[in-house]
Amino acid sequence: MLDRYNNAQLYKIDSFSGITIYNLKTEKFKTNTINIFFHDNLTRENASRNALLPAVLRRGCSRFPTFRDISLYLEELYGATFDCGVTKKGEMQIIQFYIDYVSDRYTGENSRLFEKAFDLLFEIITSPVLENGVFKNDYVEQEKDNLRKLIESRVNDKMQYSVEKCLEEMCKDEPFGIYDYGSVEELKKIDAKGLYDYYVTFLQTLPISVYITGNVEESMIDNVIKKLSNIKRGNIKETNTGEVVKEVAEVRNITETMPVNQSKLSLGFRTNISSSDEDYYALVVYNGILGGGIHSKLFQNVREKESMAYYAFSRLEKFKGLMVISSGILKENKDKAIRIIEEQLESMRRGNISEYEFDSTLKTIETGMKSLMDSQLQIVDFYLSQSIVNTNDDFNSFIEKIKKVTKDDVIRVANKIKLDTIYFLTGTEA
Amino acid sequence: MDIKTIEYNEINEVMHVYEHSSGLKAFVIPKKGYSKKYATFATHYGSINNKFVVPGESEAIRVPDGIAHFLEHKLFEQKDGSVMDKFSALGSSPNAYTSFNQTVYLFSCTDKFDENFQLLLNFVQNPYITDESVEKEKGIIGQEIQMYQDDPEWKVFFNLLRAFYKENPVRIDIAGTIESISQINREVLYKCYNTFYHPSNMVILVVGDVDHRKVFEQVEKNIEIKQEKPEIKRIFPEESKEINENYVEEKLAVAMPIFQAGFRDNRLNVQGIESLRQEVAVKILLNMIMGRSSKLYNDLYNEGLINSTFDYDYTIEESYAHSMFGGESPDPEKVRDKIVKAIEDLKTNGLDRNNYERIRKAMKGRFLKQLNSVESISHTFMSVYFKGVTIFDYFDVYDKITFEYINDTFAGHFNLDNLALSVIRPA
Repeated sequence: MLDRYNNAQLYKIDSFSGITIYNLKTEKFKTNTINIFFHDNLTRENASRNALLPAVLRRGCSRFPTFRDISLYLEELYGATFDCGVTKKGEMQIIQFYIDYVSDRYTGENSRLFEKAFDLLFEIITSPVLENGVFKNDYVEQEKDNLRKLIESRVNDKMQYSVEKCLEEMCKDEPFGIYDYGSVEELKKIDAKGLYDYYVTFLQTLPISVYITGNVEESMIDNVIKKLSNIKRGNIKETNTGEVVKEVAEVRNITETMPVNQSKLSLGFRTNISSSDEDYYALVVYNGILGGGIHSKLFQNVREKESMAYYAFSRLEKFKGLMVISSGILKENKDKAIRIIEEQLESMRRGNISEYEFDSTLKTIETGMKSLMDSQLQIVDFYLSQSIVNTNDDFNSFIEKIKKVTKDDVIRVANKIKLDTIYFLTGTEA
Repeated sequence: MDIKTIEYNEINEVMHVYEHSSGLKAFVIPKKGYSKKYATFATHYGSINNKFVVPGESEAIRVPDGIAHFLEHKLFEQKDGSVMDKFSALGSSPNAYTSFNQTVYLFSCTDKFDENFQLLLNFVQNPYITDESVEKEKGIIGQEIQMYQDDPEWKVFFNLLRAFYKENPVRIDIAGTIESISQINREVLYKCYNTFYHPSNMVILVVGDVDHRKVFEQVEKNIEIKQEKPEIKRIFPEESKEINENYVEEKLAVAMPIFQAGFRDNRLNVQGIESLRQEVAVKILLNMIMGRSSKLYNDLYNEGLINSTFDYDYTIEESYAHSMFGGESPDPEKVRDKIVKAIEDLKTNGLDRNNYERIRKAMKGRFLKQLNSVESISHTFMSVYFKGVTIFDYFDVYDKITFEYINDTFAGHFNLDNLALSVIRPA
């Protein structure tokens, strides 16, 4: 039965020259959104270029040549929001261009906002401001400077930094060890001409996926197809999410010091399970029992029982098959925290899992999945991730598979997971 | 049961209201087709209420800093263990937060709403605090405090508040300090609870795809009137009209300086919808002066003085009000000086009416987008409720605000004597 409100079902509208267009029709939200993603493999030479490119493109296009012109226009469109950026999903780097706007029902006039919003996004991507046949030098140099500062400012958020740094150190010889925004060294090598040449290839060869959500008429989407088919495309690049299985020869210990009050302990693991494995759903349950919420072993033991931390959790990186445990603690509690965490891992391996822990986890995962359906951004991210790993789950099939996981499955998974790296961020000695 | 229903046709929303005999009001904002059901139970009691008269006593008491937040943690502890476990068993996530003016308990669920709601109503009304559990909590909150000590954005924000205000308790960290929480005990926690957790000082809000009648029936059945409606005497210190300091600085582990600047606002004599109007007017002005479509923002950006972290906001409460703007910058003083220059130029040349109209339209559109999210609705609702207004009143304010009022606000708010700057520099 089709429910005009609650239908988080995605439809593939068309696919040609490495461009795939999806639509999710719903009247649940006040806004419509358009997302255009470019998919690339994460590599040292391209990471910084892929991060810099959207930053330069967002500065202006031929019709709106400055950032101010774009901002003025967005205000005219009832406060439409435009943004772009990069993220990594496993060993892939995703370059995102995004716009949302209030759907016509709420603007009180027939404002044809979809067309205007899509055209803006399309022009930002395809008609950049040029100077002597390449990108405008000022824009490139200013955005290089901004990106350098952004890379350097990673340390500001210590909780996130310690998690990311742990996984990067762990994968330093694999593409996953590359930061989403690349590195300052690679950034230095880029100039306006080089970036423009790269952009031409980028536009011609990277796989593109387009997601439209909200209440958008089909005739409007036909226009989108027409416009996208005008992009000159070449041979489409092959992408892959990277190797998941890896032997751990020896656990590495890394300590970094900074002037901080609270120390952050992060433990990085290889799960040796990819998100297309049958065991993946058991891994999700494993992670939930271990550190995915207040019912979890980590929260209950590190925080509630020992009262040595405010937060303690585990988290999966599904594309690369990694898991990280993280907690903020007093420096002198490091060994004790590691011991308590080891005890939790050991009790997982032994199947020392209560009915309460198991059932709460399944229900918490179900609630989490259903909750994603209340956000256009999260719906799109869910389906994008599915398409990257070719798992074709929807929200309901995912929940059904989770419900079939047994305790034995979890124990089997527990025995595949290997500690790889212990990372400790701690205060500078006085 | 007397239920009031208000329809907001232009934005396609409805709100149901029910008043319990205790004086507690309950609200339901239905969101058809949403999976999440989000329920909130809040009290008009936050970190700034550190001096008050306990009902039945004659002298005012000064309680340890951070106690409202500490109490928030402790309410989850019940006679038969932590109520969090019960929420977890239902697959829902309970949470709570303490702000300057309120303490908010909430859960989000997709299933078994009635059972979850029952848990919320019960645990907030039934504290079970033991000496042992108070001591245990000190370790956890101690780590929470330490975490905030390392958060540069939190620090730069509080340092600016301390620059604005010499006495107002808004300058004190919400969680207190390790030293102040060490003074907290069971007895004083109960004193705070008994003063501020009477239903007449509280509110309930449910947002999601629920039957509002059933929600109100549950409220009716489960809200207990244990005592007479107490008279709450909140005591605030006298605050000088002048700002405390115009510049404050601290060093932390950051890559580039982070700053927050702003104008303290002494125009506190406004209530209810007037207070919303003042808030919206200053926000429109900030957008006009330094928003992304302004010349100033683009000049600062092009010169590398700000980056996309730059943002601005305005807050008005009963005892304090201020604007704030900031982000990362290699030279915060220079940014401040350029903002001052732009404001002075505008004072000479006047505000542009078209600019104002376009920004008003855009801000209304952006505000509307909040209604996409049950969390945003709940959060914004709670942030204004104890001023006597609801989230939907904003739309009326956006529609009725005038250019003349914006001009008056411009003259009233941007007083250079009340400008302060807070900077965090790399250690």
